[in-house]
Amino acid sequence: MNTLSAPRARDLLRECLRVRLVEYRIVELYPSDLIQSPVHLSVGQEAVAVGVCASLMDADKVFINYRGHAFYLARGGCLKAFFSELMGRQDGICRGKGGSMHLASPAQGLMGASAVVGSTISHAVGYALGLKLAGSESVSVSVCGDGAMEQGVFFESLNFASLKRVPVLFLIEDNGLAVHSSAGERQAFDLESLCAAFKCPFFEVEGIDPSVVKEISDVALQVCRSSGGPAVLRVKCCRYLEHVGVGEDFDAGYRSSSDIDGWKMRDPILDPLLIADFESEINSEIDKAVEFAINSPVSPKASLLEDII
Amino acid sequence: MRYFEALDEAMYQCLKENPRALVIGQGVSDHKAIFGTVASAQKHFADRLIETPIAEESTAGICIGLALAGFYPVNTHIRSDFALLAFNQLINLAAKYKYMFGGLFQVPMLQRWVVGRSWGQGAQHSQSLQSLVGHIPGLVVIMPSSSENVLASYAAGYTQLESPLISLEHRLMYEMSFKEREGSLTNPLFGSQLVCSGNDCTVVATSIMVIEAQRAASYLVPFGISVEVIDLHSITHFDESLISRSAKKTRRLLVVDTSWARFGVCSEILAVAQKISQAENTSIKATALGMAPSPCPTAHSLEKFFYPDLADIIGSIMELVGVESDEIPVPEKEMATEVYKQFKGPF
Repeated sequence: MNTLSAPRARDLLRECLRVRLVEYRIVELYPSDLIQSPVHLSVGQEAVAVGVCASLMDADKVFINYRGHAFYLARGGCLKAFFSELMGRQDGICRGKGGSMHLASPAQGLMGASAVVGSTISHAVGYALGLKLAGSESVSVSVCGDGAMEQGVFFESLNFASLKRVPVLFLIEDNGLAVHSSAGERQAFDLESLCAAFKCPFFEVEGIDPSVVKEISDVALQVCRSSGGPAVLRVKCCRYLEHVGVGEDFDAGYRSSSDIDGWKMRDPILDPLLIADFESEINSEIDKAVEFAINSPVSPKASLLEDII
Repeated sequence: MRYFEALDEAMYQCLKENPRALVIGQGVSDHKAIFGTVASAQKHFADRLIETPIAEESTAGICIGLALAGFYPVNTHIRSDFALLAFNQLINLAAKYKYMFGGLFQVPMLQRWVVGRSWGQGAQHSQSLQSLVGHIPGLVVIMPSSSENVLASYAAGYTQLESPLISLEHRLMYEMSFKEREGSLTNPLFGSQLVCSGNDCTVVATSIMVIEAQRAASYLVPFGISVEVIDLHSITHFDESLISRSAKKTRRLLVVDTSWARFGVCSEILAVAQKISQAENTSIKATALGMAPSPCPTAHSLEKFFYPDLADIIGSIMELVGVESDEIPVPEKEMATEVYKQFKGPF
C-alpha cells in the first residue's frame, strides 16, 4: 500500500511528532495559565491532518473546526503566531481574538475554524462552488468530526455538493466520540450507504500512519479534481486525551485506557528512534516560538472595537 | 418606480456592475422570480442565479464560503421567518468572521428577507426580525422604505461594505410608489432620513410604518399639528444626531416599528430619547408603538388589532401633543390591506 519514498514517509512522521510535541508543550504550559482558553488537543489524531495536508496543493483550501492545531501546523501555519494566539497576544494569528478554537492562515489556504460543531462544512461547499464558477482546478476540504455528521447541515451540504457537482472533499476525522458519547449512542446511519445514496464516492482509512492516510487521500482528492464533484473520506482515529483540556479522563468511566492500548501499540509517533532523531530540534523550535509569544505584547484596548464590520 | 421594480433594478445593477455577484436562494430561478425582483436578472444573468434546496443553514454557509472565495452572494428569503433556520451561520459565523480572525477575512453578502403582512400570513409568515439581528455586532441591518432607498443602499452594500448586510423588505410595499422626501439618505448603510419636517412631534418609523407615519402627518396638518417623520432606515447604525436634533425641537417622540416593542427598535429609540432628556436636562415625552405582544394571528378579525395602524399613530401623536379626541376625530381602525389595495394575496 505504502508507495511513498522512505525519506518522504519519514518527513510525514516527523511532522506528526512535531504536532504531538506542540500539543504536549501546551499540556505542560497549561497550569501556568499563560493559555487562558479551552484547548481541544489532537494527540493521537496527528496522522489525519498530516496525511491529508500532504496530499493538498498550495491553492487548495481547508475549513476546520475547534480541534485544529494539527491542521494548522500540517498546513504550514506559523508556530510563533500560533503560540501568540493561544496566549492572546498581538502577534497572534488573529491578534488574540480567536484563540485555539479559531485558527486560520489564509496564506496557507486555511480558511477558518468554528467552535460550533459542523458549522464550517457548508463553507467548504460554498468555496468549492466558487472554485467551480471561477473555473479553478483546486479543491476545497471540509474537516469535521464524526459527531458533526449528525448535524442537519452535513446532510444539506452533501446533498448540495452532489447535486451541483462541486469539488469538495468531506474529511471525517472519526475518533468515535462526540465529547463523551460513542457513535453507537448517536448514529442510526451507515456512512458508506449514506454516501451511496448521495452518489458520492466514499473512502476510508485508519489514521495511524500518515503515509497510508496520504495514499488514500491522494486518491480521494484526485476523484474530486477529475470529476469536479465531492468525495467523502473517513479517517478512523483515536483521541488519547479528554475532549477539552489537557488531561486524560479514563476515570470518568465512558471509556478505559485499555480501549486505546491497541492504537498506542501501533502508533508510529511513539517510535523511540523517531523521537531520538527529531525531538530535540523540534523542541528547540517550540522553545523559540513560546519565548516569542511570551514576549509579544497583549493587544491594546483600542483593538477591542476594531474589525467588527 | 414601484418598490419591486427598484429591487429588480438593484439586482440587475448588482450583477451587471459586479461580475462576482450571485443571487442564491430558493425560488430565484422560478417563474415568480422572488415577487418579480429577479426577473431582469433571470433574463440577463441566468447563469448567476443559483437555485438551492430547501436548506437555509447550508445556503447561508455556502454564501460565507462564496464570500471567502471573493464572490458577492445575494441570498433571498421570501419570508424572513425562514431565515431563522440560518441564524447559526449568520450569527455564529458571518457576523464574527472578520472579528474572530482579527481582520484576516471578510464576508460581504446581502441577505434579502421579505416581511409578510396581512391577508392571513399568520404567525410564521409575518415576523419582522430586525431586532434579533440588530442585536448582533458584526451585522449591518437596514429596512429600506422607498424605491430610492433600495437602490442607494443595495449599491452601497456591494461597493462599500465588508460585512454581511441584512435588508428587510416589507411585502406590502412591493407594489407601492413613493412620494419625494425632504431629506436625502446621505448614508445608505449607516444613516437615517428626514422624510418631512414638523414642529410638534417627531415620529421615528421603520419600513412600511414610515408610510403610515407620513399618512398620519398629512391627516393632522388641517388640525394644525405638524409632525416630523424620520425614517430610521439603518437599524444597527441609525443617525442618532438626526433623531436628537428633531426631538430637541419637538420635545415629543413617537417610535413606530414593524415588530414587537419590547427588547427591540422601540426600546432602543426610547433609550435615545432618555439620553437626550438627560443630556439636555429637559423632558422629552416619548412613547412607542409596535405589534401586540402576541404571535401574529391569521384571522382577519384579530389581525387588525395585532398591527398598529394609522389610527393608532394619530391617537399616540395626539396624546403626546395633548389633544383630546373630541378636538380631532381619530379615524376608525383599518386593515392595511384595505388601504394598500394592490396586495391581493396569497403570499
